[in-house]
Amino acid sequence: MFKIAIGHSNDPDSNEAVEEILEQCLNSLVGATPQAGLLFSALNFDHSWILQRINEVFPGLELIGGTTDGELSSVLEFQQDSLTLILFCSDNIEIRAAVGRNVSQNPTAIAQQTAEAAKRQLSYPPKFCITIPESLTTSTVAILQGLMLGLENIPIFGGATADQWQYQQTYQFYKTEVLSDAVPLLLFSGQILFSHGIAGGWYPIGKQRLITKVDQNIIYEIDGKPALDFYHYYLNDSDPDAVYPLAVFPPQEENFFLRGALGYDSAIGSITVSGDVPEHSVVQITDASLEDIVIASQVAFTDALKNYPGQDPQVALFFSCAWRRQILGTRANEEYQAIARCWKRPITSCGFYTYGEIAPLRENGQTFFHNTTFVALLIGNQ
Amino acid sequence: MQPRDLNAEIKQLQKEIRILARKLERSETDRARLEITNRNKESLLKRVIGELQTSQVILEKKGADLEQAFNELSLMQTKLVEVETMAALGSLVAGVAHEISTPVGTSITLASTLMDETQLLLAGLKSGQLRRSLLNNYIEIAQESASLILSNLNRAGALVQSFKQVAVDQSSLEKRTFRVKPYLEEVMISLSPQFKQTLHTIAVKGDDAIEIDSYPGALAQIATNLVTNSLLHAYLPNEQGILWFEVIQQNEYILIQYSDDGMGIPENILSKVFEPFFTTAREKGGTGLGLHIAYNLVTQKLQGRMDLESEVGKGTQFNIRLPQSIHV
Ligand SMILES: Nc1ncnc2c1ncn2[C@@H]1O[C@H](COP(=O)(O)OP(=O)(O)OP(=O)(O)O)[C@@H](O)[C@H]1O
Ligand SMILES: [Mg+2]
Repeated sequence: MFKIAIGHSNDPDSNEAVEEILEQCLNSLVGATPQAGLLFSALNFDHSWILQRINEVFPGLELIGGTTDGELSSVLEFQQDSLTLILFCSDNIEIRAAVGRNVSQNPTAIAQQTAEAAKRQLSYPPKFCITIPESLTTSTVAILQGLMLGLENIPIFGGATADQWQYQQTYQFYKTEVLSDAVPLLLFSGQILFSHGIAGGWYPIGKQRLITKVDQNIIYEIDGKPALDFYHYYLNDSDPDAVYPLAVFPPQEENFFLRGALGYDSAIGSITVSGDVPEHSVVQITDASLEDIVIASQVAFTDALKNYPGQDPQVALFFSCAWRRQILGTRANEEYQAIARCWKRPITSCGFYTYGEIAPLRENGQTFFHNTTFVALLIGNQ
Repeated sequence: MQPRDLNAEIKQLQKEIRILARKLERSETDRARLEITNRNKESLLKRVIGELQTSQVILEKKGADLEQAFNELSLMQTKLVEVETMAALGSLVAGVAHEISTPVGTSITLASTLMDETQLLLAGLKSGQLRRSLLNNYIEIAQESASLILSNLNRAGALVQSFKQVAVDQSSLEKRTFRVKPYLEEVMISLSPQFKQTLHTIAVKGDDAIEIDSYPGALAQIATNLVTNSLLHAYLPNEQGILWFEVIQQNEYILIQYSDDGMGIPENILSKVFEPFFTTAREKGGTGLGLHIAYNLVTQKLQGRMDLESEVGKGTQFNIRLPQSIHV
C-alpha cells in the first residue's frame, strides 16, 4: 500500500490556508496515517503556526520543507503566495527525516553527519534522498558533497529554499521547527520505485570569452578585464542578472553548465556565481525563450516516464528553477500544463520553484547541483 | 437563503478578496521584475546582434582570403603540372638523343670505313695496278656497309619520328584522333633507354585499331609516369618484371589497364598515393607528384576516371577509363 495526499491553498491567511490543506489531505487519506511529508510555502506565512497545526493533526509526522519562489501541485497547479503539503503513507515503505543545523559552520561535515544519522534510523538500506537545503548562507555544492559522502552514492533530489527574489533569508522546515542555515532531508527505503529526468532550455549566444581569473565561485576577470564589465557590456550597464546566467564550458569540454550571478563587487569588478567555475573555462552569455523552457520541462518529464522501472508511478515531484519562472513570467502555469499533457492520466504532483536544483545528470549517475534546471522525480510502490 | 449558507458565502467571498489582494500586490512586484528582465534581454540581444555583424564581416573577409588562397593554389597546381611536363620532356630528349647516337655513330664508323676502302680503290686505279680480287673485295664491303648504314639511319629516322611525335604532343595541347595501342608503343620506345639497364619486359596488348579522340600528349605523360613508377618502386635491383598495358574498347569508353607484377603497395598507403607530395622515395629524388599529375590529367584534361588495385607481393594495376571522344 502506498497512498499520497496533497493539499494546496492560496489563501493568504495562514490559519485559513493550513486548515484548508489539512482538510484536503484528511479527505483523501480516509483514515490512513501518513508517515512523512513535504511542505512548500511562500515567504509570507506564519510558518511556525502552520507546522504546529500540522503536527497537532498528524503527530510524529516526518516532515521537512522550506520557503519557495512559487509552488505547484495537481490541486491548484502553479501558484505564488500559496502553501502546499504532500503526505506519504505506506506499510512497506520506510521514510525518515533528519536535519543539520548551522550548516554554514562546516557544510560538508554537518551534511555528512545528518545523512548518516538519518540512515541509522532506517531498518533497510536507503533508496534515495530528498533534501530542501539552505541556498544563501553557504555553498550548496559543499552541502551536497557531504550528503553524498554520508549516503554513499544513492541518488539525491530536491531544491534549495528561496525567498522570492529578495536574496535576504530563506527558511527550512523540520517537523515543528522553522530554521535558516539548515539542511533537512528525507530518506526513502523499502518497496519504493523511482525515476527522474532533468532538462534546461538555456542556450549560449554571443561571443565566446575566456575566464582569466577565478577563485571557486568568484569570477574576477574575463578576457583579462574585470568580470563585471562582461555583464555591463551586455546589459547596458545594468547589474548582473541571474536570469541570464553564464554558460561555462570547462577546458576541453563541449558541454556547458550554467552559473547565475548571485552578487558582485563593484570596487574590484568581480561577480559571485551560483557554483564553482573551473579555471580557463570558456564563457558565453545565455538566453532562454518561453518555448525553449516549456519544451525542456516536457523532455525532462517524458525522460522520467521512460525510465520508470514499474507500471505507473503514483506521484510526480517537481523542482524547477526560480529563474525559469522569471522567464515564464505571467505564463508560468504553462510549464505545469505542458507537463500534465504528457501523461495520459491526470497526474498527482507537487513541487516548487527553487534557488538551485539537485539531481543526478543521468540515471545511476552522480548527483549534481544545477541552476535553471527542471527536475521531475517519479515515485511509486513496488 | 438560510443564515448558515449566507455565512459560508461571506466566508468564501472574504477568502477570494484576500487572494485577489495578494495577487495584485504580487503582480506589481512581478511586473517590475519582468520589466528588468525584458530590458536586459533587449540590450543583450542588441549586443549579440552587434557581435554577429562583426563576426560576419570577419567571416566574409576570411571567406575572400580563402577564395584567393584557393585560386592561388589552383594556379600553382596548373603550373606544377606544366613544370612536370617540361621535366619529363627534358629527360625524354636526353633518352632519345642517347638512343639515336648509337645508329648514327655506327653509320659514321661504317661510312668512314667505306671512305677508306674507296680511297684504296682509287689509289689502285690511278697506279693501274687494280686487281680483280681487290675490286671484288671493295664491292662486297661497299654493299655491306651501305646496307648497314641504311638500316642504322632508318632506325635513327624512326627514333626521330617517334620523338617528334611524342615531343610535339608533350608540348602541344592539341587534340586529335589517334590509335591508342600504336601510340603507347611509340611512347614505350622513347622510354627504352630506361629499360636498357634492367631485365624488365614491357608490352602493349589489345586491338591495334582502337581509336580515341583525345590529347595524346597527356596520355604519353600518364603512361610515362606509370612506367617510371614501376621501375622506381616496384622491383628490387636485378628482379625481372613484366609490365604491360592493355587497351580495351568498352562501348564509348576506352579502358587502359596498366599492370606490373612487382611488390605492390601496402594497404595503409594505398589511399594516399594520389595525394600531391606523397612519396616513399624522397631520398631517391621522388617528389610525390607523379601519380597526382597522372590523376589530374585523367580526370580533368581527359575527362576520365582512374583508380588502382594492389596486392603486396603480387603487383599493382591502374585502371584508366577514358571517353572515346572529349567534349571541349
Ligand atoms: N607501381 C608501383 N609499385 C609500388 N609502389 C608504387 C607504384 N607506383 C607508385 N607507388 C608508390 O606511390 C608513391 C607515389 O607515387 P608518385 O609517382 O606520386 O611519387 P614518386 O614516384 O614517389 O615521386 P615522383 O613521381 O614525383 O618522382 C610512391 O612513392 C610509391 O610509394
Ligand atoms: Mg613517380
